[in-house]
Amino acid sequence: MTDSSGDAAAIPRHISAEDRPVSLTIIRLMKGVLYRESNEDEWRTLEREFAAVQDHFSRIGVQVIFDDTNGYAFLKSLPEEEGSDPLPRLVQRRALSYHLSLLLLLLRKRLAEFEAGGEEGRLVLEREQIIEMLRVFLKESSNEVRVIQQVDQTIAQATKLGFLQDLSSKQRADARAWEVKRILKAYVDAEVMGEFAEQLAEYARVGAGDSAADGASDSAAGADATPTPEVDSE
Amino acid sequence: MNFDDISQLREHHPAWRLLRATSAPLIIAFLGDYFVEKNHGATSASTLVSELDDTLYALNAQTPDMFPRDPAAYLDEWADPQRSWLRKFYPIDSDEAHYDATPALEKAVRFVDELQQRSFVGTESRLHTLIELLRQIVHGSESDPEVRIAELEKRRDQIDAEIAEIRESGISLLDDSGVRDRYQLFSSTARELLSDFREVEENFRRLDRRAREKITSWEGGKGELLADLVESRSDISSSDQGRSFDAFYDFLLSGDRQRELAELVTAVQGMEAIEADRRLRFVHHDWADAAERTQQTVRNLSEQLRRFLEDQTWVEHRRVLDLVRSTEQIALRVRNDPPADGVGLVLDTPGLPIALAFERPFYDARPEPQVDSELEEVTIAESDYEALLAQRFVDSARLLENIRAIVPPRQTAELVDILQLYPVEQGVAEILGYLALSDDEVSIELHRDEETTIDYVDTAGIARRAKLPRVTVTRA
Repeated sequence: MTDSSGDAAAIPRHISAEDRPVSLTIIRLMKGVLYRESNEDEWRTLEREFAAVQDHFSRIGVQVIFDDTNGYAFLKSLPEEEGSDPLPRLVQRRALSYHLSLLLLLLRKRLAEFEAGGEEGRLVLEREQIIEMLRVFLKESSNEVRVIQQVDQTIAQATKLGFLQDLSSKQRADARAWEVKRILKAYVDAEVMGEFAEQLAEYARVGAGDSAADGASDSAAGADATPTPEVDSE
Repeated sequence: MNFDDISQLREHHPAWRLLRATSAPLIIAFLGDYFVEKNHGATSASTLVSELDDTLYALNAQTPDMFPRDPAAYLDEWADPQRSWLRKFYPIDSDEAHYDATPALEKAVRFVDELQQRSFVGTESRLHTLIELLRQIVHGSESDPEVRIAELEKRRDQIDAEIAEIRESGISLLDDSGVRDRYQLFSSTARELLSDFREVEENFRRLDRRAREKITSWEGGKGELLADLVESRSDISSSDQGRSFDAFYDFLLSGDRQRELAELVTAVQGMEAIEADRRLRFVHHDWADAAERTQQTVRNLSEQLRRFLEDQTWVEHRRVLDLVRSTEQIALRVRNDPPADGVGLVLDTPGLPIALAFERPFYDARPEPQVDSELEEVTIAESDYEALLAQRFVDSARLLENIRAIVPPRQTAELVDILQLYPVEQGVAEILGYLALSDDEVSIELHRDEETTIDYVDTAGIARRAKLPRVTVTRA
């Protein structure tokens, strides 16, 4: 995006006014999930110019998922076609920690129940509720503070991934709350959950506690090792 | 209703529990006034908190510490599912929690309202209404045209007879008690109708929940599912509640009706025989508001249900819940020995971040902070105490003495006159000292519209003149 001097002739330096909305939409998608509620302009552009945006990404093996029902859009690797040589993977995969996985799983369940229950508006959970929900699955500890710190940390990680959204600024200081974003459904689907369930069952079967679990985790993590270098923004 | 049913209700029904609560007067007074009397819909937490804050402030002013807690804490408590006197939810278009009254609250408020004695109980008007209802049921469902026509003719004859009677012997008016009787029925039904909307909404929500339950447990195809929803009336628009509400809404919203209602209500409210209830003056607007809110809820629910049906995830809903359940069980088993990292979800991360090396800021060479723990000795500077010592103390007892010496009790004197006899010794500070003298015995009054000048010699021996409003001194 920066202006470079010299042989810049081939690179368009200016984006014309009519291309600008599409560019903005592409950038927005590359930065993460695009929501109808919070990015109305980009959302409308995507509705109108879906083909143009999709063309842009399909060259690099990425597809745009546009979910009008739930009001979000995001990028995903194109499914591999049989017989063709797959492109290197661009969308990063990440193996999450056990606690974060548990939290996402439980949030996914709450979201499913919330939708099936026909409740109004958005699913919002308070800190106490999340702690209670997760605590049952955490190692018992005499150090209450540590357990809670751990939950707080896990909540922060889920927020960073964009599955929770902090609403605390609008609340009282002592009642922190998060919205569970519906995008969670798209990322934590039955397939991903199934793999996790298998891994965990394997771990429990081999005999919890021994380092025997290493074998199981190796094969799982190895299968999806990212070919692209991990760029950690931290 | 037998004994068990009733004790069950007493234990569990939110309305009954509200009536039994010690804080019931506060809840019914505040929430009843806000949601029922003033006919407010869902309200943001901050608005309701500030309303409650005002109410609590007024109550605590009467009896200190009657309600010591934070208003938000009260609201949270009342919205607790255990109590459910308020409904707390997060609307799609707001980041802030909203509260709305529940039907249980409405019921409790209405019950308390009805405890107040009515001056009389109208019976005649209700009998008329009942007969009219019966007529509508019977004739409305009569399919034989002959019978229908016969009935209409009978009614026409009645009207003709009425016209003839007026021609002959003039109009017979409804007497005052007849008017009051009907007005009472109108007023109670009008208020009831208003408070029923929340229950209607609640019914719609229940229907929606049932529809969703059906969807998530559905085994067949989507087409059959839709057919089943409509047939079994678990769909809102095909339910009794939905049809009745739709008909009501269409009827109310037609322009002619609105005008007619407005005219009738105004005419009735102006009648002398009636002790008009001012809340009813705009009751038709309140109906329209409440109906609009209910309509909005229905729209939201249908929209959500449509999305839910379209959303592919309901297909995998049950599989997801099964997976969660089995994973939960294993997680509980290994809870004291959780797997090290490596067992977990493997997810795509949202976005395609581009992080260019040159976009990063260069290393920012900050000067290393110098820490010097040896403190330099502080030299104590010679301070100038002049200003401190130069302060003078004006003895107000002396000034009072001066006044007592000159002004007899219950008399008034000019300050200027006092200063003539006891010249100022300590400059302007002394004049100010006089002005500050106000106690049980002496009162000082300033007359701002008049001005006096006082000549005095200040402490340095220079002649000065002070200008100030005329001052009088009165002894008690």
